[in-house]
Amino acid sequence: MATAMIAPETIKEIPENDFFLTPSCILGAINPGTEILISRIYDLLGLRWKAAGDRPESQCTCCTGFSSHGDLISIESTLLVTARLWSVAAEVGIENITTACVTSYAIHNECLEMYHHEPGLHERVDRWLQQACGRRLQLPKHVVHASDIMYRNRQALAEKLRYRLVDHNTGRPLRIVDHVGCHYAKVFPEKAIGGSESCDVLAGLIRAWGGETVDYPERRHCCGMGFRQCAIRPNRGYTMACVLKKLESMEPWKPDAILTNCPGCNLFLDKEQWAILQMTGVEYNIPTLSYTELAGLLLGWDPYDVVGIQGHTVPVEPLLDKLGIPYDKSKEWIKKENQEATSELA
Amino acid sequence: MTKPVCIIGGGVAGMQVALTLGSLGMPSVLVEKSSVLGGRVPILSRTFPFFNDDGFNDGKKFTDSLERDLRSTPLADIHLGTAVTALRGDFPNFTVELSDGNFVSAGAVIVATGFTPFDPTSLKEYGYGVYPNVITASELEWMLNQRGPTGGRLVRPSDGKEAQRLAIVFCVGSRNKRIGAPFCSRICCSYSTKQASTVMERNPKAFVVCFYMDVRTYDRGFEEMYSLAQERGVRYIRGRVSMCRQLPDGSVSVRAENTLLNRPFAGEFDLVSLSTGMRPCQDVNHLAHLLGISCGPDGFFLCREWFRHPHDATRDGVFLAGCATGMKPIRNCMIDGAAVAARVTALLREAQA
Amino acid sequence: MKGDGAAAPKMLPSDLLSKKHEELDLIPDSELVTAYEQLRDEESSAGDAYPNIRYLYGTSLEREKDRREIRAQAESCETEMQQWYEKARNEPCTWWLKNHLVAKHALKSCLACGVCTAQCPAAQYYPEYNPRIILDTALSDNEQRLVELLKSDVLWYCGQCSSCKPLCPLGNNLMGLISSLRFLAQLKGYHLHSVRGRQQYAMRHLCGGNLWNRACSLYFRNVTAEGHPDFGPRHAKYQSDAEGQMVRLGANPDRPGHFGGRKLSPQTLAEFRSCLASGGTLVLWNQLEECASEDAGASGISIDEYHDRVHREG
Repeated sequence: MATAMIAPETIKEIPENDFFLTPSCILGAINPGTEILISRIYDLLGLRWKAAGDRPESQCTCCTGFSSHGDLISIESTLLVTARLWSVAAEVGIENITTACVTSYAIHNECLEMYHHEPGLHERVDRWLQQACGRRLQLPKHVVHASDIMYRNRQALAEKLRYRLVDHNTGRPLRIVDHVGCHYAKVFPEKAIGGSESCDVLAGLIRAWGGETVDYPERRHCCGMGFRQCAIRPNRGYTMACVLKKLESMEPWKPDAILTNCPGCNLFLDKEQWAILQMTGVEYNIPTLSYTELAGLLLGWDPYDVVGIQGHTVPVEPLLDKLGIPYDKSKEWIKKENQEATSELA
Repeated sequence: MTKPVCIIGGGVAGMQVALTLGSLGMPSVLVEKSSVLGGRVPILSRTFPFFNDDGFNDGKKFTDSLERDLRSTPLADIHLGTAVTALRGDFPNFTVELSDGNFVSAGAVIVATGFTPFDPTSLKEYGYGVYPNVITASELEWMLNQRGPTGGRLVRPSDGKEAQRLAIVFCVGSRNKRIGAPFCSRICCSYSTKQASTVMERNPKAFVVCFYMDVRTYDRGFEEMYSLAQERGVRYIRGRVSMCRQLPDGSVSVRAENTLLNRPFAGEFDLVSLSTGMRPCQDVNHLAHLLGISCGPDGFFLCREWFRHPHDATRDGVFLAGCATGMKPIRNCMIDGAAVAARVTALLREAQA
Repeated sequence: MKGDGAAAPKMLPSDLLSKKHEELDLIPDSELVTAYEQLRDEESSAGDAYPNIRYLYGTSLEREKDRREIRAQAESCETEMQQWYEKARNEPCTWWLKNHLVAKHALKSCLACGVCTAQCPAAQYYPEYNPRIILDTALSDNEQRLVELLKSDVLWYCGQCSSCKPLCPLGNNLMGLISSLRFLAQLKGYHLHSVRGRQQYAMRHLCGGNLWNRACSLYFRNVTAEGHPDFGPRHAKYQSDAEGQMVRLGANPDRPGHFGGRKLSPQTLAEFRSCLASGGTLVLWNQLEECASEDAGASGISIDEYHDRVHREG
């Protein structure tokens, strides 16, 4: 699907500066470098950001998204938790929320929508929030995903890149599959850049950085993470099946990499390739990177110390070879200097 | 000297109004903004249904015969390539300003501006405008026409090869609250069935599937046409198509649920035709403003009284005919045209008595 | 911290970690909670890490402590939403669909066009799953059909991907409706009737435990190699030194900070817990505990064994 033709109604307002960055559960647990890279890229672009307030009461918690879609949280609890996060942002004078996770993005937006549809909800949540923790309900001006900021600044970043998305030996633009998180594009399609079908948030980055997008039949198919489907082991066959379906569909185009903007997609499209190899004997070996990881690599940041590619199941080094990015494999697993030895239980 | 009736739109409804007015001795000025008469009918390879069809199957033969009759009466003054730029005055003394510089002193104005097929480019899930083998019903119709680009053969635009497997997707752009078009466009089920039936008739080995939500072949002879289509081998699957995607060989993968069997359906086709719903004419809002009349919530012109005066627009002396008030088959456009002509003639004679 | 075993049996924090559920039963609430928190908040000698959290997460001790705390909190504070959910539990399913905040906005009418089922990844994977039919059940206003749905496995197959939502011609929110019905199924205890439903007890302590104790749905040590063999040996290698790699990348495993693995201040945790409780979630969690306890009892196994079983069933 040509994503260069974006319907005007799906070009949204993306704030320029002053962001409150909310972290991700999955990234924090499994791919921690990825979200720290968001802050590094903000710094590189000279953007102001905060991830917490100044008081001990004002730290950043989960938005409850994973648990909400895991059917453990009441919607009112979610409303209160997000309201608390907005209050923390307001405390430090910030009205633009940028989430590291797409499920968070959808959760924040779902809460915002509810205040429009349900009469009296604003007043009730404000009252409960005051009773619960002494805070007031203040709706943020913008809620965007961190990849929206990246999209807005894709040309600025392109100018800073040390490497382009081309095979450095042949000059061939690399074929990159753009896999957009379902919760970014499908829950509120009108709030996704380009809508849900011709979403441009990742394709735009690929084009700006010299690569080529791939349109294949299962392009917009979910990765299958499925919250409770992946969290509980007997259910995970569903996740694997979805990943397999996508890999089989994209294979004829021989993509060089998969680009994601969702923590769950980044995790499962990468890691289930191992299980699929075991079960089918087919080695897809398609490196799967998040938009921040790709940006970090193209900017020339250290693949192991800063980007954290060692955490990926499908080795990323072959992609680095194509890009002409040097790396020292011996440094893959070293620890950082002065690492704390964990003390024994007293 | 009787003032003429100004007719805006030279499609079949407009032409029928002029002809009927002529038979009643009323003069008319027919203003058509394109360079030809006939509207959207000339591209039709086949009109329907198949019995009582007056011998006209090819759309152009039909409109040609209307035009012949029209040009043989001195009472109809035809202006092609002309639009209406202003309307002044009141019933029965209007002044209509035309884009060719002429002014018409008209007793009444009849709006017969027709419809526009919905452009499915914005429904990205179907891939229209991106995948060459996804086309609209209008494009299919022209392809099936002997006078068309392939001489009536069904081919894949991607490589010119013969298309054996055809998917027809109903309700594209209609019955869709999400895009602000909750209405039904009424004739799409019927024209799609006609097209499917035609393909099977010409090529009994073809594989044709119609993906429907309902089959609203409601008018006289239409249900029989639907039965005939099925007898010819057209398949009907009850399920709205969720997406079309191009495969490496150019064929199109179509996904839907077969809701009568509770099973997902996925199939590959050479050609996918989107049976698009209808929208009012492209400049409907401009015209409504210019003429001082209202439109309904579905965007088509609104009539003043639903049952007694379904052809009266919301301004005295302005009337509506044909698809300008909503999609209808050709036969109903003809009936409409005759009815409005009669009504306007009676009103004008009364006013000028 | 060494104890003198001869005195009155005051439990030592480090002893508690090895206790089974039956033994923990004997320890009073406040002692259990205090001991846990002491362990949790103990800083390492260098002062920038909390070394005991790794021994506390996912244990019998943590689960038991959670149980007690949540029960006490639910009993002591009767917020508006807590009362609402207590009341909703005893109302018919048809009432819920008209009154629950999510359900009532989720859908109004359905053409039964099947576009949701056509695109649904779960419908392609599970032969008996059909979101269109779930919607029909919801619109039928038929209590019996709804109860049957809530007791079935089918309700739990949805992956919450929202692939249906952009395509529905009437703008229904099927994902939200299913989410809402799942909440109701648990509230009424119907989830016990299906394998997938019973798994909610596992989720309760996996994500719920992480939320309650770490204000984050997932904890980096949860993704063990044994629990995720499908992730392959490279993941196992990473996980074997997850803490080291996280520090290397700038994250905060069991440390104060903004990023992955961070230990939040007690004040933030308290605010977070308060938000959870205010919203009525503890009614659900208590209900899950009671149902699990009943189900375990009926099967003649301990609650810990039950917890392990529902993680593996299916």
